[in-house]
Amino acid sequence: MSLEKIGQDEWVAQVEARRQKQNPVVAEITARWGRLPRVGKIILIVLIPVLLPIFVQNDYILRVGGLVWLYAVLALGLNVVVGLTGLLDLGYVAFFGVGGYGYALLSSAQFNIHLPTWVSLPLVTLFTAGVGFMLGLPTLRLQGDYLAIVTLGFGQIFVQLMTSMNRVGLPGLSAPINLTGGPNGIVALDPLHFLSLTMHSVTSYYYLLLLTLALVLVAIINLNRSRIGRAWRAIREDALAAEAMGIPTNRLRLLAFAVGAGIAGFAGCLFAAWQQSVFPGNFDVPLLITLYAMVVLGGAGSLWGMIAGAFVITVVPEVLRPGIQLLGIELQQIVFFGGILALLAIALRPRWRLFAVLGAVILSGIIVHLIAAALFPEQITGGTNLITAWLTIPVNTTTATSVGNFLFFIVVGLFVLLTQMPARWRDPVLVVALYLLAFVWQTRLSQEPSTTVLLLTGVALIMLMNYRPQGLLGQRRVEIA
Amino acid sequence: MQAFLSQMPQQIVNGLTLGAVYALIALGYSMVYGILGLLNFAHGDVFMVGAFIGYGVLNVFVPDQTPLIPAVLVIVCMMAVTMLGTGIIGMAIERVAYRPLRNAPRIAPLISALGVSFFLQNAILLTQSARYRDYRTQFLISPRLGLDIGSAHLSLTRALVIVVAVLLMIALTYFVQRTRLGLAMRAVSIDREAAAMMGVDVDRVILTTFFIGSALAGAAGVLFGLVFGQIYHFMGFTAGLKGFTAAVMGGIGNIPGAMLGGLLLGLIETFAIGFISPTYKDVIAFVVLVLVLLIRPSGLLGVRAPQKV
Amino acid sequence: MNTMPLLELEAVSKRFGGLQAVKELSFSVAAGEIVSLIGPNGAGKTTVLNLITGLYRPDQGHIRFEGRDLSGLAVNAITVRGIARTFQSLRLFLNMSVIENVMAAAYPRTQAQFWQIVLRRPFFRQEEARIRQLAEQKLAFFGERLAGYRYDQPAYSLSYANRRRLELARAMATEPKLLLLDEPAAGMNPHETQEITHLIGDLRNRGQYTILIIEHDMQVIEGVSDRVIVLDYGEKIAEGSYREVVRNERVIEAYLGRKHGNTKSAAARA
Repeated sequence: MSLEKIGQDEWVAQVEARRQKQNPVVAEITARWGRLPRVGKIILIVLIPVLLPIFVQNDYILRVGGLVWLYAVLALGLNVVVGLTGLLDLGYVAFFGVGGYGYALLSSAQFNIHLPTWVSLPLVTLFTAGVGFMLGLPTLRLQGDYLAIVTLGFGQIFVQLMTSMNRVGLPGLSAPINLTGGPNGIVALDPLHFLSLTMHSVTSYYYLLLLTLALVLVAIINLNRSRIGRAWRAIREDALAAEAMGIPTNRLRLLAFAVGAGIAGFAGCLFAAWQQSVFPGNFDVPLLITLYAMVVLGGAGSLWGMIAGAFVITVVPEVLRPGIQLLGIELQQIVFFGGILALLAIALRPRWRLFAVLGAVILSGIIVHLIAAALFPEQITGGTNLITAWLTIPVNTTTATSVGNFLFFIVVGLFVLLTQMPARWRDPVLVVALYLLAFVWQTRLSQEPSTTVLLLTGVALIMLMNYRPQGLLGQRRVEIA
Repeated sequence: MQAFLSQMPQQIVNGLTLGAVYALIALGYSMVYGILGLLNFAHGDVFMVGAFIGYGVLNVFVPDQTPLIPAVLVIVCMMAVTMLGTGIIGMAIERVAYRPLRNAPRIAPLISALGVSFFLQNAILLTQSARYRDYRTQFLISPRLGLDIGSAHLSLTRALVIVVAVLLMIALTYFVQRTRLGLAMRAVSIDREAAAMMGVDVDRVILTTFFIGSALAGAAGVLFGLVFGQIYHFMGFTAGLKGFTAAVMGGIGNIPGAMLGGLLLGLIETFAIGFISPTYKDVIAFVVLVLVLLIRPSGLLGVRAPQKV
Repeated sequence: MNTMPLLELEAVSKRFGGLQAVKELSFSVAAGEIVSLIGPNGAGKTTVLNLITGLYRPDQGHIRFEGRDLSGLAVNAITVRGIARTFQSLRLFLNMSVIENVMAAAYPRTQAQFWQIVLRRPFFRQEEARIRQLAEQKLAFFGERLAGYRYDQPAYSLSYANRRRLELARAMATEPKLLLLDEPAAGMNPHETQEITHLIGDLRNRGQYTILIIEHDMQVIEGVSDRVIVLDYGEKIAEGSYREVVRNERVIEAYLGRKHGNTKSAAARA
């Protein structure tokens, strides 16, 4: 047997070429990025976020930016528990809440405690880490799915308690005490004080959160490349084998919980101080699912993916709000229809199919409009722009809403059918579905942006798991069943 | 406390009614977990959708204060339409969100399920708004009708709920134990590959399981609406968790266990409301869940399967 | 002369429901020995490994390592005491790279604390370098196969034989005194089997490990064993050198059945 072959593996050497073939766009971007000199990377990643507030004086944009950093911090913390260690913690948001409420109780008129920032922040963070540790203890023996449900239950308990502990009757007290402010939460929190600075403005929180993100990122990178990070990942891969290799899995699981919780707790303090209030609704299921969407979208295991995920999921809803105009057309329309177009372009090959479908949709729209205009001349609006004119929208908004609601379910049903249909029938059904979707968008979805975002998040999660379970920047993972 | 004890029989009645609803939800959870090893997070939301479908049907037949057709027919219609509807929704969920992920890492179907759950909640929120909807049961079944058992009053509505639930459970048990398809279901839940090699159409069996489980959840939704009156888009989440608690209590994957677990949970929750406080009733359910999982994770009727290393 | 055995099993029994997997098993392994544990499938060999490493608790009997009882210890604590194992069906950390697999197993011999890591203190950095060196050293046992560019390959990209080698390297990284190898040659072709046989000898001579090995391949057994222990239905039915054991009638009967009877009868053993 020829010994020269050892160490030379052509198949392995051709990995790059294969990766290129699979996904040319992503490969190209990755290659270009890899070729940038270090300085270039640092400039792009560091300077742009840092200098943003100087060039963009818009408070709204800075607020969104600050939110992106906040969610990125939370996503990183969640990643420690779920991505690194493989513990499916569905109650993570409760730690965020513990931090928030902890800060609120120590910095407000609720009990008239006003601890200075340099005391309250570490105190609450450590306390939250402790809570994470406590939650980890009973769950050590639980398998994946059960762990998920128990932690979910804990998260719900937290919200429940915060909502109802505004009338806590303890024996010996003449009247019940208001612990958590109930559904109305706690308001008028002290702002943060660092040395002589008081944090009031959006810009200050933007930088504070960016700084936090940087610190947490560095800490996690360090942890990941250490014996602790390797041990965590070993537990995720095969907890039994890890234990057999001398890794104290129980201790490390608890550490993961504590670290994740601590990060969330710290973020909770910052959030509470920024919002100057906390409400139980801040820490409920929608935020949990949004966080998971970020982690999943970015790609479990990829730290930059988390940040990218946080960015996408925070920014997209903002862009979908009604009322923002760009070149005379609503921004939300551009984003939505543009997004649909992009999806169609990816999904429909060869090219002519794309144009055929689009043409058919536009044509059917015109036909429907003409027929409707002939039959019900008074009841169709002229429309404020190209798209609303093309669609057939009743003048009476109540009718529009009802029809929209009804058609919503039809659209969902059609899209479900689409996934199950043989190829021949797909395009005609797609045409109908797309037209109805446009109508539903215009009448219902665009009017309720917050709900629409949540709907899209749900759909995104399903599609992501189906087509790209590793997320945008993650690596495909191998798992033994 | 004293007052509660004297109300005990009534609380038992209430607990059994609630438990019947939980049992129906738990059954769907148990069946799907037994067959796929998957926790169908969206199950609770199917329950919620069922409640809304029933509400819609109810409004069609009882637009104002008098039913357009006899009350019995209305109820039958509600049940039939809802169960069919939610059954189909369940099958759609399986095809779209779970089947493509049969061989994916375990976390993928869980995330997908979260996505479906989220989607259903917000779909209803979008189209029905966040307003609480009222099942105006009083126009269908007079609240004065009922039976007096000792100090307890068993209203006709509650009796109906319990009876329907029991009938459905009997039907399910018959189906699973006595029919070929039921046999196939049991086979697939024990060893999917071996069943496939014996000629069982695994895909069809899984689809059927989802249909039945979701139909039962839908039925639970209608029954819930009839008894408790108010429905809203977010109720599926809590109900789903409680259904899961019940399924785990009885031993997940175990049909009689799910029924037992449901009834027990209903009783525990009702007693907790009486003994402790109505504010913390949901908390009680979760505490029970944690305790069960810690003390006896295989549940009351469950079997602990040893693992070969 | 030190006569205390490194590992000692004393009347160990383990039952799973109705199945008596191990029945009053006693044997010992002296430091520096290579002992083989053989027997037909289902004889309880892997169960013995699991008992030694703490995965299962013995129903009766004692297991002593370096004179100290192992009962009640957690699995990772037993590894810290100096016992490492490989798995019959490989259990690598598939999504981690080759070198990370080995470095992860060095955990019990390291001390860097949480804050030292987060703040990148010198102690942490020095220890990381040391761990890396240790891992490379263990992988070097296998020559070029798991070296160089292979360090950063994910474990799932390795061939079957390389995976077995990696599993072995990983166990070595815990710096044990006793290595328990569960069918290290399973699924290997004759050439690879020969290699592994040499390797196991090397492990004892160069690496100074004591080795307890479960195997089916008689070539390997013959090539490495100082002593062979034969199990059947959870009981020890023979012990001795390879040559002695191979000619033992009970052993032949366990593997091949009785010459003139219809089955291996339990009555013959009663």
